[in-house]
Amino acid sequence: MSSLPPPTVPPPQYGGALDPAFVADATVEVANASVWFGPKVALSELSCSFGPGVTGLLGPNGAGKTTLMRAMVGLVSVNQGTVRIEGRDPRRDRAVHGRMALVPEDEAVPAGLTAGQFVRYVADLHGVVDREAPSNALRSVSMFDDADRNVDTFSKGMRQRTKVAAALVTDPQVLVLDEPLNGADPVQRVHLIALFKQLGALGRTVIVSSHVLNEVERLAERVVVLMHGRLAAAGGRHAIRDAMDDRPRHVLVRSNDGRRLAAGLVALESVAGVTFDTARDGLVIQTVRARELATALPRLARDSSVRLLEVRALDDSLESLFRELVR
Amino acid sequence: MTVPSPTITRRPRSRFIAIVLYTLQSCVPPKRWVAVLLPCAGALLFGLLAHAVDGAADRAFANIAAEAIFGLVMPIAALVIGDSVLGAEVRAGTFQFTWLSPAPTWQIVMGRWLGGSVVALVTIAPSCALAAVIAGSPSSAGPAFLAALVGSVSYVALFIAIGCLTRRTAVWSLAFVFLIERLLGGALTGVAQLSPTWESRAIFVGYLDDPPDRLIREGIPQGGYAIVRLLIVMIVALAVANWRMGHLRLSGASD
Repeated sequence: MSSLPPPTVPPPQYGGALDPAFVADATVEVANASVWFGPKVALSELSCSFGPGVTGLLGPNGAGKTTLMRAMVGLVSVNQGTVRIEGRDPRRDRAVHGRMALVPEDEAVPAGLTAGQFVRYVADLHGVVDREAPSNALRSVSMFDDADRNVDTFSKGMRQRTKVAAALVTDPQVLVLDEPLNGADPVQRVHLIALFKQLGALGRTVIVSSHVLNEVERLAERVVVLMHGRLAAAGGRHAIRDAMDDRPRHVLVRSNDGRRLAAGLVALESVAGVTFDTARDGLVIQTVRARELATALPRLARDSSVRLLEVRALDDSLESLFRELVR
Repeated sequence: MTVPSPTITRRPRSRFIAIVLYTLQSCVPPKRWVAVLLPCAGALLFGLLAHAVDGAADRAFANIAAEAIFGLVMPIAALVIGDSVLGAEVRAGTFQFTWLSPAPTWQIVMGRWLGGSVVALVTIAPSCALAAVIAGSPSSAGPAFLAALVGSVSYVALFIAIGCLTRRTAVWSLAFVFLIERLLGGALTGVAQLSPTWESRAIFVGYLDDPPDRLIREGIPQGGYAIVRLLIVMIVALAVANWRMGHLRLSGASD
């Protein structure tokens, strides 16, 4: 493409600074989008944009991530508002499908095809002329050796990687990945994360959804957080992490000498309070600086000659973090 | 990602051909073939049953074919095919791999229809012709083949259109066959004129040398005219499917 059409909606400015939900060089724009299925509202007046690089789409189950991703690529029409890819409506302009790809979350893969045949089919639909493209795409996700195996026989992780290969074979400018690391083993996760980051570095718009904060942090510089179909937060991953870290947390610590450890803990600046939880047989520490505590606690245990048996955040579920963000 | 290498170009397989081959390979897996072949075997059994009917073999087969083969076997077999080539894929959540491509919707609709028609061509039509031979009426094999072919490809087009209109393709298709065609079509000639069951029966009867009078229905064109009528039905169904294809809301298998 020679030049991109102008954005359909100018990104909002706040005091001269761009709203963190928007990017200056947007390739995907979502403006005031609402989607509902019968009485269920999946997205509610959502506005944000995505540009080159990897953006994490974070939210608990049912937050509307999948619906947003499907709306982005045109699989689902928005009941209200607009979605544009490179300034074009993916529901009406089928040519824009040649510029984007979706890796859906669900395990479904076409029956009766080998991985090679599936990727070749997608390549044919997109008019890919590079004869080696299907093989290269399979190689890039370490599935080349299984190219002749039927996709029906694959594990969840292998199906996911095959779908990633089918997306990559089209060389998309916009790649939308819905929970792409589901089912992948640790080695494959590292490999896929490196692959997505590389695509982002090449200037592709890569949007990755997950409900695992740490996973998104490893992948994306920018994070968009959804909650109940609404935008809960957006910005750099550090800003999101800080926002989450700065809220009060409760950490359970079990040790071989709780009394001695408690005495040391109350002297720490990162600790706001310590209580003894008889039910859990441990100390519950209240902190607003979890990261500092994570460094100080092992040091304190070593200096006090206390053996730590268990350290566990009591309210560290993503759901609770999101609740804090949208409070 | 991929290691940069000199690009070896190939002429990509045309989208249309790719869709047809995919339809044959993926949409109609072995289990679906069995489901199509079962009613086809039923057609052969009806051919045998014609021997039990009193009278000349030609007339006995004509009566059996009109009621059982074109009224029951052909719609059910075509329903299995029609649901396989689109509705089942939409429900399974795999249709999005085709929909999310720059291929025009007409190519997707026509590719799916052609794929389904090929399956009908090698299953439904020959089994209906073979039923005539088994019934001892080889002269009816040609008309039976032609009527079954035109009727089943029309059905496939209709069921694809239904698949584009609703997620419950099989249920609505059955309702179409048994409520609209059988019940309403049996009573109202206007409905029967647009029905693949009634029109394929009219094609069959129109090409028989000596058709039984009871099979000739007033107001329904016979032979070639019935073929034209079904072609129009088929074109309209494919046009509706094409129009709806662009408006599909593919919310995934899990929904």
